[in-house]
Amino acid sequence: MGPWGFVSLAYGIVWGTLVVYLIFLKRRYSRATVELDQLRPMGEAGGDEKK
Amino acid sequence: MIRQSRKRKGILGALALVTVLFSLYWSLVVAPPDAYQGEVQRIMYLHLPSILIAYLSYFLVFIGSGLYLWKREKRDDLLAHAAAELGVLFTALTIIEGSVWGRPTWGVWWTWDARLTLTAILLLIYVGYLMLRSLIEDENRAAMAAAVLGIIGFLDIPLIHMSVYWWRTLHQPPSILRPDKLPWENVHPSMLTALTISFVAFLLLYFYLLSLRYRVGEMHQEVIARRLERGA
Repeated sequence: MGPWGFVSLAYGIVWGTLVVYLIFLKRRYSRATVELDQLRPMGEAGGDEKK
Repeated sequence: MIRQSRKRKGILGALALVTVLFSLYWSLVVAPPDAYQGEVQRIMYLHLPSILIAYLSYFLVFIGSGLYLWKREKRDDLLAHAAAELGVLFTALTIIEGSVWGRPTWGVWWTWDARLTLTAILLLIYVGYLMLRSLIEDENRAAMAAAVLGIIGFLDIPLIHMSVYWWRTLHQPPSILRPDKLPWENVHPSMLTALTISFVAFLLLYFYLLSLRYRVGEMHQEVIARRLERGA
């Protein structure tokens, strides 16, 4: 592998991992929002809307 | 600062994205190749910001853990937990980047150098921190045990920083955070600019991820509280 190969590998791993982690966090956030909305009494605002 | 509205989170996320794209352009196109290491040196524009962000993360774990042990407020524990998860992520990335840089520069993917070994120990301590939290069922006991480990684990960071002075290591001494020279006396301005932009990009992205992770933790606590209310 040439120098640019190593550079591409490093940048690919870092930014790929960070994007996957961001997607993973967004999914956890969405799941928690849905779960919280189901548990909230009727008429109460959900998620971050009230903040 | 951590608990933000959705609009503020959106602005921070957009700002982080723009800065990341700008840092990629500067690191890969504008910055010149290093006279000795050539193009491979560009990996340093990831490596240095990653470890600095990991240190910042563990500092927040240290602060959050200390405050939790003192005041027993859940928000401090939530901050420590969120920061620990991100610290593990950025430490793992630092080790991987270093390994990819080490292969063409040192001729090996890994060596049991003092700094590398202490960084691997740092990663294991905070992986242990996260495992501890998931293994202890009682939330308060888990938070207490994790807080103690979070404080003790932080002591590894000064050791990592000083390891290149205390032991004969393959890892070079710091280029930026050194006592005898200022950063601009030791690093070419175009490279220092690339490093600064990259650090700002990592910092913005870090605070965006931290605020999101903190909110997820907060919502998880709300879910538990609501379930208990319903069960009662």
